[in-house]
Amino acid sequence: MTALVETRDLVKTYELGGETVKAVDGVSLSIDRGEYVAIMGASGSGKSTFMNMIGCLDVPTSGQVRIDGIATGDMDSDALAKLRNAKVGFVFQQFNLLARTTALDNVALPLIYAGLGSVERREKARLKLGDMGLGDRLDHSPAKLSGGQQQRVAIARALVTEPLILLADEPTGALDTKTSEDIMEIFQHLNEAGITIIVVTHELDIADHAKRRIEFRDGKVIEDRAVTHRRIPVS
Amino acid sequence: MAKFAQQASAWLVNVSIAMTALRTNLMRSILTALGVMIGVFAVTLAVAVGSGAQISVMQSINALGSNMALIFAQPDSEGSRTTFDRGRLTMRDARAIEKQVSGVASIAPQLRASIQLVVAGRNATTSAVGATADYGVVANISTENGRFISDADVRSAARVVVLGPSVAGKLFGDYDPIGETVRINRAPFTIVGILESKGSSFGNDNDDIAIMPISTVRQRFAGDTLAGPDDLQVLFVSFDDGISLPQAKREMTKLLRDRYKVRGKEVNPFTIRTTEEFMKQSSQVTNIFQIVLVAIASISLLVGGIGIMNIMLVSVTERTREIGLRMALGARRSDIRNQFLVEAAVLCVIGGAMGLFLAIAGGTALTVYADFPVPIGFDVGIGAIIFSAVVGLVFGGYPAIRASRLSPIEALRSE
Repeated sequence: MTALVETRDLVKTYELGGETVKAVDGVSLSIDRGEYVAIMGASGSGKSTFMNMIGCLDVPTSGQVRIDGIATGDMDSDALAKLRNAKVGFVFQQFNLLARTTALDNVALPLIYAGLGSVERREKARLKLGDMGLGDRLDHSPAKLSGGQQQRVAIARALVTEPLILLADEPTGALDTKTSEDIMEIFQHLNEAGITIIVVTHELDIADHAKRRIEFRDGKVIEDRAVTHRRIPVS
Repeated sequence: MAKFAQQASAWLVNVSIAMTALRTNLMRSILTALGVMIGVFAVTLAVAVGSGAQISVMQSINALGSNMALIFAQPDSEGSRTTFDRGRLTMRDARAIEKQVSGVASIAPQLRASIQLVVAGRNATTSAVGATADYGVVANISTENGRFISDADVRSAARVVVLGPSVAGKLFGDYDPIGETVRINRAPFTIVGILESKGSSFGNDNDDIAIMPISTVRQRFAGDTLAGPDDLQVLFVSFDDGISLPQAKREMTKLLRDRYKVRGKEVNPFTIRTTEEFMKQSSQVTNIFQIVLVAIASISLLVGGIGIMNIMLVSVTERTREIGLRMALGARRSDIRNQFLVEAAVLCVIGGAMGLFLAIAGGTALTVYADFPVPIGFDVGIGAIIFSAVVGLVFGGYPAIRASRLSPIEALRSE
């Protein structure tokens, strides 16, 4: 079975004040279908840059990323956009919902770029919001939703195109402990349903929900192991 | 077909995104649209005023009679050489033209002089046209009150005069002066008629005129300006319907050249102009007039377009994070570009529609209050709307392309 996400000698460098900084320095690893991975590291360790590259948002300086067996190195921006749309769902720390836009339209947004008609878009968005327990908040704009509710709208948006991978960058960074637990519970259910989850976090509490933990330091993987004492949310 | 439906729906989505974005910054959107509105208003009105001028000129030429030629007793300077020699044109030439040129309906010879009219302490200076009874028919002139000069007046060189409404008004106010006596250059004349008003064209008062028998003008006012007792200054020749004016002009030229024994490249002592030529000449003038007007008006549209570009650049900068998000969710560069292009175009079309509406209002006001035709037809309306959309696409193009070239990750990171 081919790995869902595979990187080989992945390098990303930046020019900063005349100096070349290696944000990611030769990372090779593979993540299989159905895994639940936490990527940890201090800020500046390269974990976010790594995630952006496997999410096809950023282009590596050298090395390779394969998503679902497809090499992304030669793809143009349109092909990458299509790949993101079809296979990757993003969840951000700051939710990134469009203001003055209803929850329903926010969730339906990726389907515009998938080329679906408006009736179909709304139907799918309605179902996903229902799954997230927000069936009664369809017409609320983000300003009228709590942080936890906003993040659930964002998760519904990430899932509406039925992606293979959910990429979450500090998904609980803007939430309190109780709400964070709720979000982690949702992730647990999604993973049980077969979705591969990759969470970037610097909080050990959050990382311990995952099955596998990868730790970055100075652009390199310094630890990659199974989580022995998983925190499984009780529902 | 399915592909087309998908495309159409993608554009519709962009229009609705644009409307949301424009509503979000309502004040800014209105002010930007105002710039386009003023530009479209100015250009539309300029086009309309230009064609109005064209119509107005054609009307005044048509008022002269459409199938006519004017022959002036001036050397024809149409070629390269100008000459200060006095031209020649006589009553005998006029009769020859009437008899020998085909299709001549009637002729009306003219002499002109500047005269001073005095009555009861009031006076007026105007130009007198010495004419025959046929002049009224040929030049499409009729009287409002009283009568025109008659053949008998011409034969007897009678001291009668027909006044234009402006002259009559200056001397008599509202009082009907028919039958009254007016002194013209000290001699008493009887006023026999008042002309119908012809209004004014290009600041020229067509009603500031007096008409009297040609024989009277010759005896009393033209005197030594003429080379011979039979001389004319202008001859009006009107033709039957369906006569080719260029052909008629060739015939008259040949006849007069033979009569004056003009050979080869010698300059004709007379000048012939047909109404066709007047029209061509004036339409050249009004075309230039229109081009200048539109060019000036275009500057305001250019300013409006720059406003669009400015505001779209602001909009792109403000929404960088949104652009990054859309890209992360699968928007292609072309999707982002089209989104901002549509936003600019929607802004411009709204401004353009307002400008068109304003131009129609302004044009109607000009027509009603200044009696100047300002036609804004369906074609001009559609043109204005399409033109505004094009302004949006042109000036929105750079900001839209800039938005589409953003790197998704940098856009997402921006504050």
